[in-house]
Amino acid sequence: MPDPSFVFAQSISGLTAAMFLFLIASGLSLIFGVLRVLNFAHGTFYMLGAYAAYQLVQWLGVGPGRFWLAALGAAAAVAALGGLIERVLFRHLYGKEELYQLLFTYALVLVLSDSAKMVWGTQQKSVSRPPELTGSFSVFGATIPSYNLLILLLGPAIALAFWFVLQRTRVGRFIRAAALDRETLGALGVNVSALYTWVFVLASFLGGLGGALISPMRATTPGMDTEVIVEAFVVVVIGGLGSFWGTFLGALIYGQVLSFGILLFPRFSIFAVFALMAAVLIVRPWGLLGRPLR
Amino acid sequence: MRRVPWAPLALVAALLVPAAGSRFYTFVANDVVIWALFATSLNLLVGYSGLVSFGHAAYFGIGAYTTGLLMKKAALPFLLAFPAAGVLAGAFALLFGVFCVRLTRIYFAMLTLAFAQFLYTVAYKWRDLTGGSDGIACVPKTALFWGGPSLATPRAFYFVVAVSLIGVNVRRYELAAFVLAGAFAGLAGGLFGIFNRGVFPDFAYWTKSSEVLIMTLLGGMGTFYGPTVGALALILLNQQITSYTEYWPFVLGSILVALLFGFPGGLAGAAIVLWARARGRLRSA
Amino acid sequence: MYRRTLLVLVIALAVVVPLAADAQKPIKVGMPIPLSGPPALFGDPASKGAMMFVEETNAKGGVLGRKLELLVRDSKADANEAVRQARELILKDNVDFLVGTLTSAEGPAVSVVAKESKIVFIAPIPKTDQLTAPDKLHPYIFRTAANTTIEGRSAAEIVAKWPVTRVATMSFDYAYGQDVTRAFVEHLKKIKPSVQIVDQQWPKLGEQDYNPFINAQMAKKPEAIFSSIWGGFFVTYSKQAKALGVFDTVKYNFIGVGEAATPETTKSMGADYPVGIWGNSYDAFYWGETAAHRDYTARLSKYLKDEYPSSWAIQGYTGMQFLVEAIKKANSTDSDKVAKALLGLTIETPIGPQTIREKDHQANRGQLYGKTAMDPKYPFPIMKPVTYVDPTKFMD
Repeated sequence: MPDPSFVFAQSISGLTAAMFLFLIASGLSLIFGVLRVLNFAHGTFYMLGAYAAYQLVQWLGVGPGRFWLAALGAAAAVAALGGLIERVLFRHLYGKEELYQLLFTYALVLVLSDSAKMVWGTQQKSVSRPPELTGSFSVFGATIPSYNLLILLLGPAIALAFWFVLQRTRVGRFIRAAALDRETLGALGVNVSALYTWVFVLASFLGGLGGALISPMRATTPGMDTEVIVEAFVVVVIGGLGSFWGTFLGALIYGQVLSFGILLFPRFSIFAVFALMAAVLIVRPWGLLGRPLR
Repeated sequence: MRRVPWAPLALVAALLVPAAGSRFYTFVANDVVIWALFATSLNLLVGYSGLVSFGHAAYFGIGAYTTGLLMKKAALPFLLAFPAAGVLAGAFALLFGVFCVRLTRIYFAMLTLAFAQFLYTVAYKWRDLTGGSDGIACVPKTALFWGGPSLATPRAFYFVVAVSLIGVNVRRYELAAFVLAGAFAGLAGGLFGIFNRGVFPDFAYWTKSSEVLIMTLLGGMGTFYGPTVGALALILLNQQITSYTEYWPFVLGSILVALLFGFPGGLAGAAIVLWARARGRLRSA
Repeated sequence: MYRRTLLVLVIALAVVVPLAADAQKPIKVGMPIPLSGPPALFGDPASKGAMMFVEETNAKGGVLGRKLELLVRDSKADANEAVRQARELILKDNVDFLVGTLTSAEGPAVSVVAKESKIVFIAPIPKTDQLTAPDKLHPYIFRTAANTTIEGRSAAEIVAKWPVTRVATMSFDYAYGQDVTRAFVEHLKKIKPSVQIVDQQWPKLGEQDYNPFINAQMAKKPEAIFSSIWGGFFVTYSKQAKALGVFDTVKYNFIGVGEAATPETTKSMGADYPVGIWGNSYDAFYWGETAAHRDYTARLSKYLKDEYPSSWAIQGYTGMQFLVEAIKKANSTDSDKVAKALLGLTIETPIGPQTIREKDHQANRGQLYGKTAMDPKYPFPIMKPVTYVDPTKFMD
């Protein structure tokens, strides 16, 4: 019987990973829900968020509150980039086959990540934890870094904010309607074009914020984009593409399976995740909480 | 207008390469023809059934590992190991296809990608069988049969490869398209493993799937020669550009964007448009 | 008669001129090496170190009266791409030699091409033992990098001196991680039988979240930890481990191989680095053991326009240096002759004398090891004191 404090620590680390993944995957899922395209460039937005946060921290210097300013600034910059790309390029592909849209997002991965390499080089970059959150708590004998606690709380907070926007606002209703039936929405006189831009901006913001917020816990390096996109992809496939709560659930499952998987099969925990994904795909191809699309 | 006999012409042209070219161009031709086979197999699926697979590299990888392992560990001759690549890749395509093909196009793309990532992880982790990240180096270039003629020269090997490509003149198999596409991708993988003299997990990674999609798109989807043209164009381009700059992904991405916006029909599509225009002008003159 | 003389002269010229021209042709060296993705962190500076050596050699008049020409290609850390680039360099660009590759997949893959083409190939970075294993060894492959045996055993020699018995390991689950960890564990058990390996964690290559692995490991109460998490991934790992209090718990009885203590890594982390742990590096600009090293560092610093120049440049530099010394010794650019000249060749490098062993084509390349500490001279930690661990006595 494992030590209860260890089980607790393990579930907390799984939860932290889940909340972080939710942050990234929610943007991916949002774009899919509305635009029906898997945005490969979402991981690249995440990477750009991390690099932008690093750059802003360099400019702003270290001090109380500076990191948060940098993180928000980075997310805003990535959101602006996402909006720009949608306005100038992506919207011209809406009428075309899904394949073209998919390949376009892949072209973005190539161009944007190579551009990041031109700007920041190949050396890894590192951002310090904000000075107000360098400590840690001890709960039930488990050590929980304050910064992880923040991510742990931020996840549900963003989920709630999201839920509020989707359920209680006009834009949210349009987004939900778009996820169900795009054609009718336009017929009802909704400015679909603006809606799509805002969806892109919001999703890019979430990706950029994810990258910025994770930068104190990870190194910022070339190639971090293709790593994260695969994980986020697994999360949304398990939870249900385009489903908001599905993504949340998928992230929770992913985190716990990885955390406890390494105790059961130390070297093959990654297969536990894939086995789960395969099982979900076979039973409910549209994911646990997703809806089958036409 | 009489139909131009493209197939025999292409065959003759392809077989002339080793005779005319240097050793280097024979290698390039090998590379092109294998990728063309791979891209053509994808085109079978996308172009004729409308299903877009984003995990086609999985079957390429299965084929490569099958041939590589059979030839290296079981010391089987090429003539047995090569068809095995197609059979096994086809079998896996059948297995996955059962789950994938019943879905709508969007889920189909996602699912094929998910299965490919799964296989990639298996190749990476199962070190006892696949060699893990080290892959299988030194895949032997052995004889066609036991004691038969050797495939050791790039030229002889090239003929085998070129003939396999010309063989894929299959159209409209609808439901079976997925399995056939998988099988041919497996054959391409089997050839590539030998040509490359090694098999690595990267063969099944999702970026390989996107590379082959780009080739298909570049050449022109749904036209039989499109993927071959795409493979040729992309490989030659890669070669030229990587000699000058390390920013090949940037260039490739830009080309892709230009293609998506400017020439959605790919090179073959553009050629058809130009050809039609030229003929129209001739007629009106 | 006059005509015949003229004819003879013309023919003689026709024969001699191309020969003379040939002597003026540069000696071409191809370098397929990753310049993109996470390994670009090492590939990029290594290629620049090689380039600096080439430019310096050419400034001094070249080799055998000919200039050197280095052709660098991005192998994308992908074995297929490395093979494609190597073949193109050989067949199209007609390179005389290959120096390069980085990952443990690229090295052996390009080695097969070198064997086929009968071209000398020097691997300055790949560490996998497979590269020069008896069944893969051929006359044209040479390695100037440390291998996993050397690296694992060097770390074991250091850990054996610590007052600990409960040791744990943390390595990526792939060839390099597995091999270097096995070499470490086997050697440590041999030289200090009282040691107990209490836990081994195997995150996947490129893992981004180490929390579950760290929790599981710390639950086994190790007194010391061996890690081979490399490059930018070590930055990620150590940030998370530090937040969880790992380094304090094991009282800094922690050794990070996979170049965890390079100036690049400590510089990028600054004060966030877990100062007090042990680590290794191929080079360190502050080492300055010999005049040759101090001089090399000064030149490199100028060349890279970096006050604290990269520790990876040395690998490209010494790889090229071995090649050039062998060309001089062979007095030829014929690969068969150069390959023979490389056997048992000892040269003076900026980090001291290095020898390529005749029996396995492996250089006795050790690394710098040391306990990290802050130094008032630099805004980041350094290894203090820093020692070169000579592997000669435990390579077999």
